[in-house]
Amino acid sequence: MPIITISRGSLSGGRALAECLADRLGYPCVAAEIVRGAAAKLGVSMEDVQGKFETSPGLWARLVRDREKYVLAVRTALLEGCAEGSLVYHGLAGQFLLRDLRGVLRIRLIAPLDVRLRTLTDHHRMGREAAEEFIRDVDNERRRWVRVMYGEDVESPALYDLTVNLRTLSLDTACEVIAEAAGQPQYEITAEARAAMEALRVACHERLDALTSGE
Amino acid sequence: MAECLAKRLGYPILGREVAQEAARSLGVPAELLERKLGDRPSRWSRFSSLRRAYVVAVQATLAEYAVGGNLVYHGLAGGLLVRGLPRTLCLRLIAPMEIRIKALMDEDPAVDAATAGVYIRDVDESRARWVRVMYGEDIMDPGLYDLVINLETMTVEGACALTARAVRQPEYALNDAVLASLEDFRLACRVKVALASDAEVRTMELTATARGGEVVISGEAPLRKSGQTGERIVALARAVQGVDRVRLNLEWYDPYP
Repeated sequence: MPIITISRGSLSGGRALAECLADRLGYPCVAAEIVRGAAAKLGVSMEDVQGKFETSPGLWARLVRDREKYVLAVRTALLEGCAEGSLVYHGLAGQFLLRDLRGVLRIRLIAPLDVRLRTLTDHHRMGREAAEEFIRDVDNERRRWVRVMYGEDVESPALYDLTVNLRTLSLDTACEVIAEAAGQPQYEITAEARAAMEALRVACHERLDALTSGE
Repeated sequence: MAECLAKRLGYPILGREVAQEAARSLGVPAELLERKLGDRPSRWSRFSSLRRAYVVAVQATLAEYAVGGNLVYHGLAGGLLVRGLPRTLCLRLIAPMEIRIKALMDEDPAVDAATAGVYIRDVDESRARWVRVMYGEDIMDPGLYDLVINLETMTVEGACALTARAVRQPEYALNDAVLASLEDFRLACRVKVALASDAEVRTMELTATARGGEVVISGEAPLRKSGQTGERIVALARAVQGVDRVRLNLEWYDPYP
């Protein structure tokens, strides 16, 4: 069984999907725990770490380098989580933090705007126009963050093994489909894949130590 | 992928046959129809009544096969041809260019990598442009599909298995309401073919919807001196088997302002 990462636009049902999968497959479901682990490594607050993923750096190299330290801390914390076994990660940038590793199933979840708006208009009593603006702003920030940090388009299906659209698929069906994919042999964490993850974890840990010990 | 799904689900499978049958119904060679649908359209082609007739013919042919509810269609723009229909699972398969080039070279050993790459890019560009001009959509937009499956890591068998699993879920159950919708869709398509077959009416941008024998025709129509346009449209629709009532929802305009 693989590590599963879920990428999505804001309010697309990513947490609910992750929890469904975790329940279905018997995996831990993580996001905030990874941020907490990263914050502890850096001696900063979780909000500091979260903020570095939610707003894109300017194009000054210094700002990008500063951002990279935080990304490295989250990557290290995630790899430590992966070392304990399969999990479902629905935090930010999963498809990049575990890039090029075997044994990872990369999912992108998309949902129609109306579905996303409903969370804000129904549960948070936001007006429709304000809700649309909020979603647009968050989406634009994330797109920009990925473009600046990785030079990629976060919405490109080529970055993922499977893109799932909740326009007609129910959350339960999305969960079933992904569970089916997770059981396929090409996503199995082989001994080789496990060794590669561990080697990367050690390298990230050493690099992070080098960056933070100089401060 | 289509063959795997059809076998696994026990569904009939269709591809190019739909375009070929549509061509026969129009009395034109299939190659001409396929070229019209797949060709790079010019800027004004969207408004070409002939191109509209081709699209309507393909849609109507597909509707005849889809009325039973179970079908795997792997022809061009399937998702857009049946857009809005219930119980329709729309898939896109993608793969890195290296994999696609290799597949083409395996199919035809006479083709080298460079030629294969150029061919694939040309076909992609042509299809993308056609969808953009005819439907105003970006063929690469994942929002157009229920699932986008990347064959970089997924095998065709794996893609087939998870798609079959989706189809077996409750929201894809075939029931009377779904069958009624498919009948309505077929009827609306037959009416659209009838309108597109008339030399005068085919120049108008009209569309049709149906519900239980009642057909509503919408769009724009020119005011003519004869004042007979509305009657002509109604008569064409009424002549289609299965149509009980016709309502017009037209915006009339002066063709000589």
